[in-house]
Amino acid sequence: MKGIAAIAGVGLRQYKRAEAPLPERGVLVRAVVDACEDAGFDPADVDGFATYGDDKNEPVRLMSDLGTKDLSWSSQVFGGGGGGIAAAFGQAVGAIATGQAKAVIVFRALAQGDSGRLSAAVMAHHLNAHMIGAGLVAPAQVCALRAQRMFEHFGVPRGTVEAFVRAANYHGEHNPEAVAYGKPFAEEAYRTARWISEPFRLLDCSRENDGAGALLVVSAERARDLRKPPVHILAVAQGAATGWGDLLENDDDDQYASAGFRAVASRLWARSGLTPKDIDVAQVYENFSAQGVASLIDHGFCDYDDVAEFCRFENLIAPSGRLPINTAGGNLAQGFIHGIGMPVEAVRQLRSESANPVPGAKTCLLAGGPGAPIVSSAIFGTEETLG
Amino acid sequence: MSTAGELATGAEAPFWQALQDGRLSLQRCAGCGTWHWPAVWRCSACGGWEHAWEDVPMRGEIYTWTRNWHSFGGLEALEKPFVIVVVKLDGADGARLMGILEGDTSDVAIGCKVTGRVGQTLYADRSVPAIRWSRA
Repeated sequence: MKGIAAIAGVGLRQYKRAEAPLPERGVLVRAVVDACEDAGFDPADVDGFATYGDDKNEPVRLMSDLGTKDLSWSSQVFGGGGGGIAAAFGQAVGAIATGQAKAVIVFRALAQGDSGRLSAAVMAHHLNAHMIGAGLVAPAQVCALRAQRMFEHFGVPRGTVEAFVRAANYHGEHNPEAVAYGKPFAEEAYRTARWISEPFRLLDCSRENDGAGALLVVSAERARDLRKPPVHILAVAQGAATGWGDLLENDDDDQYASAGFRAVASRLWARSGLTPKDIDVAQVYENFSAQGVASLIDHGFCDYDDVAEFCRFENLIAPSGRLPINTAGGNLAQGFIHGIGMPVEAVRQLRSESANPVPGAKTCLLAGGPGAPIVSSAIFGTEETLG
Repeated sequence: MSTAGELATGAEAPFWQALQDGRLSLQRCAGCGTWHWPAVWRCSACGGWEHAWEDVPMRGEIYTWTRNWHSFGGLEALEKPFVIVVVKLDGADGARLMGILEGDTSDVAIGCKVTGRVGQTLYADRSVPAIRWSRA
């Protein structure tokens, strides 16, 4: 997969929830045009689209606004949550590699006025009478059950999760585009915020924004002729292992408290030829705080034995932590448009455009929505990583 | 989504029928005896398509839990906070079922022994049969 395709442009428009100035499709068109302008690319030449998470915006409906000359390919990753976010980049690479498309926009758009609350939409994908009978109607509750087992049974210290949240907020505090900009992390407020579903308090939960994000993917060769340095898609993996999925809380005992990446992460490392030590910076999708830590464990950065040593605030922040995470603030502190801000930040890091730069970063992991039945991850790299 | 339609169809229909009669019944492959939960059409262990449904005692231990405080839409009839549990059954090869823990929940913990009875959960204007667990 390495060397086939690269991200050449990014666009991100974020607003407060229910306050987008345009309906969802209008905001999306803005973000797509932003991504094309970033790359110095004519939006009319975009011929493919990929998305995830039950996005309702059919690409064919964007054609009039973009002036699309020829819509030749479009696709969506299965699943209602953010698990498919990285997989959408894998689809784009596949389309480009096989000549089905030449310029693919990977996107996600969300405006409450059009699509309602995200949590309700995600849940509608899974909700059944078993869950309703148990009063289990929101993603926060499902993730809470799994987090509780991670804490209580596997003994993961809660301080690891606080360090993760604090690092994300620290980055958000220093990112002018983040919801947390200029707001230092208030430890006491975090620890005493109202309970949502134990072990989660309010500030453990990503709170959605309106907005849209778009990333332009073209062949590696073509990307070199565009305005910005190419960010190469080195590897992508998606899927689920046996014993993980939509199983009514019957996932295998050794996966239940995880974020679901066991098989996906091992395929990702095998395909890329890289190991966790080779990753300079990571965008780790956190729908809920504990799932971010579970995702780091799944990807092999640490395990239950040394998670406390690894997940310390100093280790997780730019510029010089061992693995700076969510350097724009992540879903918790940058803003949450179903995760699409995270690949945008991955690209900005590798172009030295981040508000919290990691100097010399050559590789960035994008870990998709944890805990979803289908999860996915990707590794992006600078020109140098093609070797 | 209508409760009636949902409960009458699918591989798990016998589970709902039994629950409405106050019993817990789970699926077992008639060929190789493998327990299946969630219910399946085909046994992937032996390729069989025939299944038996066996009554299983509502008894097990708490596998994990969460105490829910937030008012999520549709659950107005449930007094908050309430405790959601995942219970690993003593029988059925340790299949796990979800439910609400009633009675004293103050010292709920993973591993607590519980027994169940069939109750009803009101969600919006629907009533769904559901197991209510309590400390054994």
